[in-house]
Amino acid sequence: MTISVKVMRRPEPGETSYLRATLRGMALTFKHLVNPKKVTVEYPEERPDLSPRWRGTHVMETHADGRPKCVACGLCPTVCPANCIRLVGGEDDMGNRYPLVYEIDEFRCIFCGMCQEVCPVEAIHVGVHFENAEYTRDRFVYDLDRLMAQEHPSTLLWDPSDGASE
Amino acid sequence: MDAPKPQAVTLTIDEREVTVPKGTTILRAAESIGIEIPRYCYHPGLSSPAQCRICLVEVVGAPKLAASCVTEAMEGQQVRTQSEPALEMRRGVLEFYLANHPLDCPICDQSGECKLQDYVHAEGREHGRSREPKRVFGRDDFGGDVLFYGDRCVMCTRCVRFMNEMAQDPRLAVVERGNRSIIDTFFDEGVEGSPYSGNIVDICPVGALVSKDFLHKARAWDLEHTPSVCPNCSQGCNIEIHTRDNLVQRLKPRDNPEVNQYWMCDYGRARYEWLNRGDRIEAPLIRTGERDARAAASWEEAIRAAAAELGGAEGPVRAVASAFVSNEALVALATLVEALGGGEIVFRSPRTVGEIPLPGFEKLARREDLAPNREGAEALGMKRVGTNDATGGLESLAAHAGKLVVLGDELEDAGPEFGAEAAAYLYLGSYPTEGAGRAKVVLPITTFAEEEGSFTNHARIVQRYEPALQAPGMARPAATVLEALRAALGTPAGALAGRRGS
Ligand code: SF4
Ligand code: SF4
Ligand code: SF4
Ligand code: SF4
Ligand code: FES
Repeated sequence: MTISVKVMRRPEPGETSYLRATLRGMALTFKHLVNPKKVTVEYPEERPDLSPRWRGTHVMETHADGRPKCVACGLCPTVCPANCIRLVGGEDDMGNRYPLVYEIDEFRCIFCGMCQEVCPVEAIHVGVHFENAEYTRDRFVYDLDRLMAQEHPSTLLWDPSDGASE
Repeated sequence: MDAPKPQAVTLTIDEREVTVPKGTTILRAAESIGIEIPRYCYHPGLSSPAQCRICLVEVVGAPKLAASCVTEAMEGQQVRTQSEPALEMRRGVLEFYLANHPLDCPICDQSGECKLQDYVHAEGREHGRSREPKRVFGRDDFGGDVLFYGDRCVMCTRCVRFMNEMAQDPRLAVVERGNRSIIDTFFDEGVEGSPYSGNIVDICPVGALVSKDFLHKARAWDLEHTPSVCPNCSQGCNIEIHTRDNLVQRLKPRDNPEVNQYWMCDYGRARYEWLNRGDRIEAPLIRTGERDARAAASWEEAIRAAAAELGGAEGPVRAVASAFVSNEALVALATLVEALGGGEIVFRSPRTVGEIPLPGFEKLARREDLAPNREGAEALGMKRVGTNDATGGLESLAAHAGKLVVLGDELEDAGPEFGAEAAAYLYLGSYPTEGAGRAKVVLPITTFAEEEGSFTNHARIVQRYEPALQAPGMARPAATVLEALRAALGTPAGALAGRRGS
């Protein structure tokens, strides 16, 4: 076996100076300094505009009387690629099927929105929301009460056949 | 009477030739080559009224489509199950079924194993055309374990025919006519008290009849199915154990023409909760001092301690077995006892008075022995002692001064002093019990649902079952444990070889 040796050409002293690159960088910085199209947002005083199709932490829709809309069909835990929804179905005192336990582990969730897409009764939604700081990890497992108490708006999923969802 | 030799006929189904005995229906002939023709009213264990019309197929040359569940296969027939006329007709039939159906799959327990879902998905229309309001029946309690959702019913009358032909206890009927027709019971108690009524839930092709016990418990697609044998009586019905999250969710019958056909009794069906018991012995335990001072040990240590205990002690050996353990474990116990010099093995098993037969299939009855393997134990020369509720009978063993081995018996009534006199006392079991308090070594074993093995039923048919659950902690199959113990004692294997299977 032969080893081929590649001889590298060493740069000339003039070529190794970083001065030109630095100046080029400074010029770019200066250009943005005076650019009127600013993108930096002074968070938290200023709020960013989120797209209505932003997919953040979940919201469970409720009926007018405060019951969750979920009928415990089991489709969202089945479709969830991160396997982060835990559901135990049961029957409420009016004889309706409803979730005894409904938990989403928001840490494991990848916010794909498939749970929202699959839900036959439009109960679970991903939400337009991004401020998720908590003091402990277990606070990221959202239970049913928490999901129903969420106040941020639900995401509009894009439906190609429905112009309004654009 | 000599049965006439069945003549064979050859026909073509969907371009494939198949030869079947004369008298076979087209539906069965198609099934034999793996073509499933849709069916609702047809069930192999019941009569065929040919009323659901979902099984219509085209027979070339015939003036009309034929109901394949009752049409006999003829020589040279050409059957098309997927031709345009057949498909169009089935599409139409399905549309009628859906005209009043509530489309409530999300909350229906049958969803995922529903024949209406399957057939509509495969052959039905994408959108309904009916604009009329649907008729609504709501839900009705049929008694026993059965709930009835009238709106989902497809009027196949399988449930009615089961009660008439199999249970021979006609308690269900079709009342009203046309699209108002509905299944109903005669009196308020419905099927309450009918010992085989759980089967109507199994045979209902849709979610009209559902089990109260299973209601909303799990989705069909989340369940794992394991072939097994019912442990609740010596009939040994073939069952499937449906599990989810390592818990048994329900038992369903599995067909076996020799034992239980397609059915099982409600008594057996309802008794599975003990398999989900959480109080288990999870590690081998070695007594370190007096009484309850015990330390968990590795299997190696425990087997060594047990072998030293049994090998070092004086006196004759006696053993208690159980009618709830596998043949394999019983043989291993008998081999071990023989290796230790031979001795009496007794077992206790619950019994009741009176069999509960299924009138339409007489081979099946809930037997008097309420344990799965009494035959297996007796075939190995073990003796049944005690009363019919599996208590008593161990008085002479409680004070036995030699070696004592207990396999599987929970010793519920034995008390903490059981085995106090024994020179060596070894306990193999699944659940913690007072009766093992004096045992030097306690070894955790699996239940039948956690291991592979076999039971011998009342008719001496040996039936195999497979593991459905993961065993807790370090529990191991009793046969494996006893075999390891025998090897550690340094005694030859197969002393019982000649008696195996006797
Ligand atoms: S957004 Fe996707 S990953 Fe998150 S819970 Fe829903 S289905 Fe699962
Ligand atoms: S898909 Fe919708 S109805 Fe079904 S379990 Fe999930 S949230 Fe509940
Ligand atoms: S309840 Fe079920 S088995 Fe009985 S007629 Fe209706 S669909 Fe058939
Ligand atoms: S007849 Fe016996 S074996 Fe069959 S299901 Fe009933 S209890 Fe189990
Ligand atoms: S299965 Fe043939 S008509 Fe019902």
